[in-house]
Formats: sequence, structure tokens, C-alpha cells
Amino acid sequence: MILSSLVLLFILAPLIGMFLHTGGGQFLETVKDREVQQSVWLTLWVSFAATLIFSLGAIPFAWLLARKKFPFKNVVQGIIDLPIVLPHTAAGLALLGFISRDGFLGKTASLFGLNLVNHPSGIALAMAFVSLPFLINAARDGFAAVPERLEKAALNLGASNTKVFFTISLPLAWRSITTGFVMMFARGMSEFGAVVIIAYHPMIAPVLIYERFSSYGLNYARPASVFFILVALLFLIGLRLLSLKRKEKYINADAQTD
Amino acid sequence: MLRLININKRLGDFALTDINIEVSAGEYYVLLGRSGSGKTQLLELIAGLEHPDKGRIILDNEEITNRSIQDRKVGIVFQDYAVFPHMTVFGNIAYPLRARKEDKKSITEKVEKAATAMNIKHILERSTIKLSGGELQRVALARTLITSPRLLLLDEPLSSLDTSLKDDLKRLLRNLNKAGQTIIHVTHDYGDAISLAKRVGVIHNGNIIQEGSVDEVFKNPSSRFVARYAGIRNFFKVNISEENGLFVGVTDHNVRFKLNGVTAGNDRLLFIRSGFISLTNEVPADNELNAIKGRITEIIPSEFGMEVVVDAHDLFHINILFSEIEKLKLVEGKDVWVNFPARAIVVINSNS
Repeated sequence: MILSSLVLLFILAPLIGMFLHTGGGQFLETVKDREVQQSVWLTLWVSFAATLIFSLGAIPFAWLLARKKFPFKNVVQGIIDLPIVLPHTAAGLALLGFISRDGFLGKTASLFGLNLVNHPSGIALAMAFVSLPFLINAARDGFAAVPERLEKAALNLGASNTKVFFTISLPLAWRSITTGFVMMFARGMSEFGAVVIIAYHPMIAPVLIYERFSSYGLNYARPASVFFILVALLFLIGLRLLSLKRKEKYINADAQTD
Repeated sequence: MLRLININKRLGDFALTDINIEVSAGEYYVLLGRSGSGKTQLLELIAGLEHPDKGRIILDNEEITNRSIQDRKVGIVFQDYAVFPHMTVFGNIAYPLRARKEDKKSITEKVEKAATAMNIKHILERSTIKLSGGELQRVALARTLITSPRLLLLDEPLSSLDTSLKDDLKRLLRNLNKAGQTIIHVTHDYGDAISLAKRVGVIHNGNIIQEGSVDEVFKNPSSRFVARYAGIRNFFKVNISEENGLFVGVTDHNVRFKLNGVTAGNDRLLFIRSGFISLTNEVPADNELNAIKGRITEIIPSEFGMEVVVDAHDLFHINILFSEIEKLKLVEGKDVWVNFPARAIVVINSNS
């Protein structure tokens, strides 16, 4: 009991300390700072977009992992977890080689006149690279928890595989998937190491905080941190509430029509 | 209608081997076996949820071995019902129709009709989460029957219902079958098998070890397993009639049973529950007892002590303790009385 409180305190104390050290006037000034506003907004939407776009591939992939047997499945699972154990600067460097003008993806993108380095799309890739395991693993566990019987019954009732996926597997794994979605989004927007190598500019909030700290010191970096934390928290809570509501709506809507 | 030809399927360290079954149209076929005997797997093979390693499945003269699940028109109702928890009762029953993209109006009509037939119209708008086992089962049945399956597969439909619900469901299944629905019903319960089946297949360790009409299989068990499975050897076909206010069942060999709580009718099946039969050397004093005279033809050691076979034109099998044999001085060729109360007799109401 005492040990648990100590652990909890260890997490909370530095945060509370930071909040207490931030004066109201200082904080308001930072909030009004256009540079800060832009970086916070950039961080949020890029991470959200990365999560949304990658979930289109990650969710069916998670279903495959939960349901199908295939050769080297353990290896595949290991590869998925790789970004969690890599130092994120190393991940950033690896990704840079891939998306710079000499890399495969970079070359392809430049054909369309897009330079991924120092561009939001590059930031999105870096965020996705380090945070994708959270969505895939949560969604996989969610799909695995759906009784296979229900999918079999739906197939037996004449539904196609796609139809079964969208009407049975996905809605029943919905809670885990949204949890994974929120986790991936949160992990993506807090990423620093991989992003700073791909794009110092445009500046996402973690890079901005680092820059203010290294150029002007703790007192300048702190209000920006507090602001970013508050906005991120609000966004996360909002997303959670929204996902719970959507699940309820799905159940109620079914009584009427498809 | 359905033919399984030399079906083989390996499932881990267990295998279905050389399964051959033929079910004709309109038949009620019961597959009887203990849990782990492979009966559920066999249903899944027929439904196309699994594929056999070897062998062929023929339905209505068409080979469907490699046909997709959706094209088979074989409906399966799982033991746990597999009712979709995130949909209402209506949503569940409408599911197959929506998958076929029928229009809204015809869906509503068909669902209401199916729900009325299953007596669940009043719960159509409810969520399935709080339904009872019996209600869930009716939802699952309605959902499958709405697809008009050529063949209905039932996996242990009676196992988790209490007695009164069981009787309701049995009646419902009998009526379905009478209306022409071909049914394959999998169960571990001997009582269910004899009360519903026209034909029975006994499955053990992945093999069909005996097949035939209920009467054939349980009167002439082909193996010790089938005999022990039933646990009952005393199984008789009788005509029941009323004599002086009392009901009497008479076999083809003129053995007479005093019965309670039955109705008259021909070609009924009855069995005597084991553990109720005793032997005496004299006519018992209690007039209420059934007392049937016969001659001992065999005394065989059994797992319960000794098994005495008494020939009273029909054969009775009685398990008694070795000490009883000595006390009554029972030997082969001796005449004895077989006694049992009317309440030990179970009549299978094949006409209800």
C-alpha cells in the first residue's frame, strides 16, 4: 500500500511541481504565443492523421494476427514489437534513410513533388513508426477476445467474410481498438527522438519544448510544457468519451436498421 | 439427402476416421456421443466451417465438399447459441436477410413471422444480453430457420435447458421435423436421442460405431460401449391400452407392464431405469409392483457386480450384488420373478 502510493507519487510529484512553478502571467503569455499554438496544433493533427491513416491497414492486420495461422507468425509478431525496443533516435535515423531523397519512399514521393523530410507527412511517418505497435497489439487482443463462434455463426447465416468483419468482429472489438487508437495517438504526439531527426522544422511541441529548454533554459520551456500537457489531456479525454458514446450508439442504432 | 463418404479429419491428437453417414430427406438423425467424441467437429464439417482432410460430402446429389459456407444452405445452431451480443433480438434474426440485402419491408415481415413461430415476438426490440437460455436458443433457431436451410444442424440444443423448457423445445423440434425439416441433432444424452430420433448414430473416439433405428441400436448394441453408453438394457416396444381404469403396456411377446401417468397408443417405446429392478424367488406380496416371471439364462460378472439375464419371452438384464446371488441361490435355468415399480418405467411419448 505504502509502496504503491510512493510509485504514484513518483509519477505525480514532478508534474505537480512543474504546474506549481509556472506562474499565471507567464503561462498566459505562452498560450498567446503563435509559435507555441502552431506547434501544439501541428502535433495534435499530425499524430491524429497518422493514427487514422495507419489504422486502415493496422486493424485488418491485427485481425489476421488474432485469427489466422501462418508461417513465421512469431517472427512477424516480433517485428511489430521492434519499434518499442529500438532507441527512438535510431528509429528516426533508419526512417530518414528510407524517406530522404535517396531512399525508396523519398524517391517515390519526390516524383509527386513532395519532400518528406521537414514536412508534416515525414513527421507523421516518424510518429507512426514508433507508435504503431500500440494500436496493432490492442486491436489484436480485442479481436482475439471476440468468440470465434460468433464469426462462424455469421458466415453460416450467409454473410461474406467482409460483411462478417464489419458487422461482427469490428463492433465487438471496438473498445479495444479505440483504446489502441488513443494509445497510438498519445504515443505519437509525445514522440521526440524519431521526429527531431526527420523534421526539426516545422516544430512539433516536444521539439519546441526541447528547443526552448536548450536555448533559453528551464523557465522558458516550462510554460510551453504545461500548455502542451493540458491540451493533450483534454484531447485524450474527449476522444475517450467520444469512442464510448459511439459504441453505445452502434448498439442502439441496430434495433432500427443497418 | 446428405451423404458423408469416408470423411477423415485430423484435429490435434484426435481424428475423425472413415465417417460414413447417410441421412434421408425429412429424417431426424441423432448423433450420440460423449464430449470429445468428435460430434461437434462433424457438424462443422457438414456446415463447411471446417474442411475434411479426406472424403466427400454430398448434399441433394451435389458434391459440396469444397463449397463455401455461404452456398451450402446448411444451418447450424451452436451449443452456446452464438447470438450476437451487440444486436437486438430483431437484429439477430434479421441478420441473414440483411446479408442478402433484402428490402426493409420484407425483412420486417419475415422477422415478425419467424418470431411469432418461435414465441419470441414480445422480445424483438430487446438487447440479447439479458435473455434467458431458452430465449437465446429460440433467437438462434429463428435466425437459422429464416434462411430456410436444406439441413438443420443442432449442437446439444437441450443440454443447458431445465426440464420444462426441454419438453417445449422437444415439441418444437418434433413439429419442425414433421413439417419436413431434415435435422441432424448432436447430443450426449441418451434420453434426448430416444425421444426425438428416427435414426441414431453412435460416435465414439471419432468413429461411428453403430447406426440404425433407435430400437435396433439400443436393443442390439453392437458393442459394449453402446450398451454401457445407454446404461440401460431393458428397452421394450409396447402397445399401451386402458384396462379397467389402469394402463397396461404389452410387448409383441405378450409381456405386460403396469404403467402410471401415460396415455394409450401403439408402438411406444419404454425402458426401465436401472437400479429399480430386483429379483425374487416368489411372487412379491406388493400388488402394485410389476412382477414378471422368467428363466435365468445367463449370470455374467459385470462392472456393477453380477448381471443376470432373465428370459420372460423378452430379455431382462438385471444388475445385482454377488451376495444377492448367493442369498437367492440363483443359478442358470432357475425360474425367478423380475420386480420393479411402475414409476421406474419411462415411456417415450413418440406421438406427442
